[in-house]
Amino acid sequence: MRITCPYCGERDVREFSYLGGEPGPRPEGRDADIETMFEHVYQRPNPAGPIREYWYHAAGCHSWLIAERDTRTHAIAAVTAAADREVRS
Amino acid sequence: MAEPRWKPVTAWEGIAAPGLFGRIDGAPGVIIELGGHVGMASVSAPAAALGAHYGLALTEAPRAYKIGDMTLIWTAPAQWLATSDDRSLADRLGAALSGVAAVADQSDARAVVRLSGPKARDVLAKGCLVDLHPRAFGPGQVAMTVFGHINVMLRQIDERPTFEIALFRSMAESFWHWLGAAAGEFGADIRG
Repeated sequence: MRITCPYCGERDVREFSYLGGEPGPRPEGRDADIETMFEHVYQRPNPAGPIREYWYHAAGCHSWLIAERDTRTHAIAAVTAAADREVRS
Repeated sequence: MAEPRWKPVTAWEGIAAPGLFGRIDGAPGVIIELGGHVGMASVSAPAAALGAHYGLALTEAPRAYKIGDMTLIWTAPAQWLATSDDRSLADRLGAALSGVAAVADQSDARAVVRLSGPKARDVLAKGCLVDLHPRAFGPGQVAMTVFGHINVMLRQIDERPTFEIALFRSMAESFWHWLGAAAGEFGADIRG
């Protein structure tokens, strides 16, 4: 598998480390109940299909990236720098 | 009591020495220049701010720029590695970039090696995850990547081609194991 780093270009997957699916926005801790916080902290998406997930270019430019990958085919539709992402609400 | 006497050594001291290495018949396929006794500094500033300071169109992309006696190498977003033969580079940059960038002295922090000769590209291709074919990689281009699990800064300097690799000096011996094994079959002329 190869990942196209938005800074460095196409690189072997061995240069990257994987964090997991992108969680939604963090709930307001003082207002949210324990189930909501549990969902946010521990539960991660694991779909058979498209997923937005964090990759870290550990052996390259040390950027956190978000890849849009299809878990069935490993086809990557887009990779963007996590720092540039729109915070979803 | 006698004054302590400090002897500066490069990262290659006791690891690699000038001479011929590997295949002994015919001309050496690769020339390996051991370096490292240079001025080096990390520079933290976005490309736009640093570019405005120097009057250059710097971008957040892996390239190297020649600015006077200094080479400015992009290593990560808003991160650069500056090198020069001038050992006082970090002090000089710290003063010149006050208010523009954070500068930290990295002199002696890295082992540096330059590869040239007809088989330089073939040696690197044995362990490189980046396509070094002239269509894909050329002079001025930089790659932050790995050789044998060791993080390196790799860049191509000229068309000959000459490549430069810089890595943390504590990894020099491990890297030399890889480089020696890769270069041996072509014959290497190691220069200090």
